[in-house]
Amino acid sequence: MTDQVDHQVTIDDLAELMKRTAGVSVDPLILEEESGSGWDTFGLDSLGLLGIVAELEKRHGMGLPEQMERCKTPADFLAVVNGVLMKGA
Amino acid sequence: MSRQRPRRAVVTGLGVVTPHGIGTDVFWKTVKEGGSSLAPVGKEGCDHLPLRIAGEVRDFDADALIEGTFLVQTDRFTHFAMAATQLALDDAGFGRADIDSPYSVGVFTAAGSGGGEFGQRELQKLWGQGPRHVGPYQSIAWFYAASTGQISIRNGFKGPCGVVAGDEAGGLDALAHAAHAVRRGTDAVVVGATEAPLAPYSIVCQLGYPELSRNDDPQRAYRPFTTAACGFVPAEGGAMLVVEEERAARERGADPRATLAGHAATFTGASRWADSRSGLARAISTALTEADCRPEDVDIVFADALGVPEADEAEALALTDALGPHARRVPVTAPKTGMGRAYCAAPVLDVATAVLAMEHGTIPPTPNVFDICHHVDLVVGRARAAELRTALVLSRGLMGFNSALVLRQGSVPPPERRSASV
Repeated sequence: MTDQVDHQVTIDDLAELMKRTAGVSVDPLILEEESGSGWDTFGLDSLGLLGIVAELEKRHGMGLPEQMERCKTPADFLAVVNGVLMKGA
Repeated sequence: MSRQRPRRAVVTGLGVVTPHGIGTDVFWKTVKEGGSSLAPVGKEGCDHLPLRIAGEVRDFDADALIEGTFLVQTDRFTHFAMAATQLALDDAGFGRADIDSPYSVGVFTAAGSGGGEFGQRELQKLWGQGPRHVGPYQSIAWFYAASTGQISIRNGFKGPCGVVAGDEAGGLDALAHAAHAVRRGTDAVVVGATEAPLAPYSIVCQLGYPELSRNDDPQRAYRPFTTAACGFVPAEGGAMLVVEEERAARERGADPRATLAGHAATFTGASRWADSRSGLARAISTALTEADCRPEDVDIVFADALGVPEADEAEALALTDALGPHARRVPVTAPKTGMGRAYCAAPVLDVATAVLAMEHGTIPPTPNVFDICHHVDLVVGRARAAELRTALVLSRGLMGFNSALVLRQGSVPPPERRSASV
């Protein structure tokens, strides 16, 4: 696990990003449990998602696909983000 | 058309966020006593700017009043608007149960300064760190329209919504839009204006106004209608009102506190203060006609009171032009000299004050002003007891907009005449 910390975005990271960039408070356990639910379940809007994408791009110094906002659920989103990070690693 | 009784727009709730404090109780207490909350500008990053005195809202805890999702995407002026809206809804006793349909409640706001604090922060990131560091909410937070949108979203109000960008006088124009929406069939409208123009960026934007007071004494910086007038002091804060159709208000058990009886607006050009005389006089006359009131029905005037000699003179003359001999007798007041001018929010705060003044039978005084050099009966020093049934609120903007609004106490029709449909 430790080897991948720098290259993977975890549920905890996502919960922290949602809080900081979009003001959405969500328990990471609940986010994990319901990661197949739509963003609106957690109160995150499209601009909030855009902010999270921008933050991840800055943090990891890489570009994410333009269609990131099409990811409807946290699970889809993390799969795409971590897929890109794996390729880049 | 049917012979139904005309729909009247009445005020049922007030919410204020002001340099005097938050909520109408503390606000009215200070206003009535002629208190002043003008003070040296205390905002971070403003020390070096030539604006010394302002009316700042202190002890406003946005985190305690507004959810995180709304906080991160909005500027301070919208925080004020959301907080004032909640206060106004509570004041009106207007809850979820009172809403038949989300489409029966509208929102109108006016804004003149926009989200300067939020905008400055993001622009600093843009030039300091690069485009990728600008957050997406910059696209909505600093627009004039932000408060209407966020109030609508936060409360689920889907009725007619609008934003007035019409200079300071736009605050009164927003109330007129709300009254029209009510007359056309909307049961309730949340309406008003809030401003937060005291971030460094926003202050710099105002430094070009020759009307801005640069005096450094809180007691001398804003003294309209005197020979010592040296401009106006800016302020932040504002007011939101709940305006309802009279019958709808009564049906849910709310008392009409005042009727929005008449309004008119004119334009006479930026900083052409002598010309504002005719524009303001025309606005007053037209608003009185719409309210079916005669000049002598006016019991109190809330003056624009810019604090620029030429503008003060034009306002005094406009009152004479529009009210005739009654202009010498009618009490005039400008409580804003104790708070500063919060741009679009200034006349809305005057409307809120007018409602409270009519309810209390008390004319609040004009703080810091003595030795009036114009022919107006300006109430200074102490509050004056008076029976107030009709109030006239005036507003002018630095860009040349003039507006007048007539309020009637409760829902009583104009004196000695049948109420006309307005």
